[in-house]
Amino acid sequence: MNRENRINRMNRRALLGGLFAAATVPALASCSSGITSLEGDGAGGGGGGSSKGGVTIGTANFTENQVLGYLYAAALEAAGVKTTVRPNLGTREILIPALKGGDIDLLPEYQGALLHYLDTKATATEEGTMQNALAMLLPRGLQILPYGEAENADAFAVTRETADEYGLKSLADLAKHNGKLVIGAAPEVKKRTVGSVGLKEVYGVEFKEFKSLDSSGPLVKGALKKGDVDVANLFTTDTDIAAEGWVVLTDPKNLIPGQHVVPLIADRKADSTVRKALARLGSVLTTKDLTELNRLVDKDRKDPEDVAYDWAALHGIKK
Amino acid sequence: MYELLKGLGSWLVGAEQWTGSDGIGHRLAEHLQYSLLATLVAAAIALPVGLLIGHTGRGAFVAINLSSFGRALPTVGLVVLVFLASGLSMWPVYIALVALAVPSIVTNTYAGMTAVDPEVRDAARGQGMRWYQVLFQVELPLALPLIMTGLRLALIQVVATATIAAYVSFGGLGRYVFDGLAQRDLVQVLGGAVLVALVAVVLDLALSALQRFLFRHRPAPQS
Repeated sequence: MNRENRINRMNRRALLGGLFAAATVPALASCSSGITSLEGDGAGGGGGGSSKGGVTIGTANFTENQVLGYLYAAALEAAGVKTTVRPNLGTREILIPALKGGDIDLLPEYQGALLHYLDTKATATEEGTMQNALAMLLPRGLQILPYGEAENADAFAVTRETADEYGLKSLADLAKHNGKLVIGAAPEVKKRTVGSVGLKEVYGVEFKEFKSLDSSGPLVKGALKKGDVDVANLFTTDTDIAAEGWVVLTDPKNLIPGQHVVPLIADRKADSTVRKALARLGSVLTTKDLTELNRLVDKDRKDPEDVAYDWAALHGIKK
Repeated sequence: MYELLKGLGSWLVGAEQWTGSDGIGHRLAEHLQYSLLATLVAAAIALPVGLLIGHTGRGAFVAINLSSFGRALPTVGLVVLVFLASGLSMWPVYIALVALAVPSIVTNTYAGMTAVDPEVRDAARGQGMRWYQVLFQVELPLALPLIMTGLRLALIQVVATATIAAYVSFGGLGRYVFDGLAQRDLVQVLGGAVLVALVAVVLDLALSALQRFLFRHRPAPQS
């Protein structure tokens, strides 16, 4: 599906940090890839990969991805694998070269967003199809493991009042009010399939106006709350959706691709211990759990590492 | 890099880029409108303050530090803060831009006023001039070069920063920068940035030419 990469979108608040990182990290990455190529095929050695030397987990620069990184660390440590977490590395444009170069070994990813990063013309939206497409598209040396239960997809939400006033339940209902509603979203949503383009093509929706704000951030949520926009593009794991009682419009024609959390790992570290530990985590962690963990970090100002390890311990994932 | 520059060239000269509500012409006009209005408002606030503290020599510490506070505020943070309070309007943008522009004008006006030779001031008083005559007929003309420098500095900062209007859904040249970043369209980002820089340079040159013309009988200001 034509969607911009999620990490990029959530990145706006940390824009400057990202730019700085963008300037420095690729240089580092290309350096160390030169070093690993001298040593042979990666650090672990051997065909199937080994996690014996420890696994370095990288995460992107937004809360949820960091929580996921620490959850991966907790799961791997419970299975006896040494881990290092390098949080807040930046966007996919930095993380994937770092993964290839050997600076990091493992990265929490999202199916649809990763697929679109690898192939901007990809059309798959169903989980199994996307998993296959990803396996084909990934560069040499990288692989994805089975996707988890938790998902952080795009959502188009309205306030309860707007839903009642216009009788909105699904995205299709928006077309009944063409030219009347204002949508607020990140700038890229204007040109994206999961956005103005797809809503027009698939559901025949035309908005009165498109307001360029941020990705599920303070601007778009503030504007929705104040009624400056009628429809807002949010993420399903956004804690404010439930807190504010906003209505997420259903997607009967499957415009929005699935965004299950999926581990992206370098072949050199993907042994059966790692696979099993992450598969187990993936089957236990639900979207609701992830939303709650986000809330603990964003609203209650808890440390992402603490909330991740506490959650893992509570669910029997510990040494 | 070459591809990027080539793309930039065709982006800047493409006819379709210059027309319509998304066109460069319209965005340029919006950008100038935001910048000039914000600088004018800032001048209306900062000039009287600067002149007053310069003339009386009182309250300088408080006024300079208070206005520098505006310079230290992170502009994007201020925009978000005002946005959350006021909702979707131009207020957040104008408040942030004015807060950015006030310090340079206040400090330069004050500096210009204190640089006036005390003997000149005394002579003016000795001739029986009232305080407002001293201020407007003696001190202000002598301080003008530095005051102009302050206005120039403020305008350049505001032009460069007015891109944040696009952050809260409005227009201006920042639209290209923010949209380009979001759509991973580097040519658009670069185009927007180059235009902002051009506007800043052209305005600065124009003001400095004006300054030279106005003060052509005096030695150049030392700033």
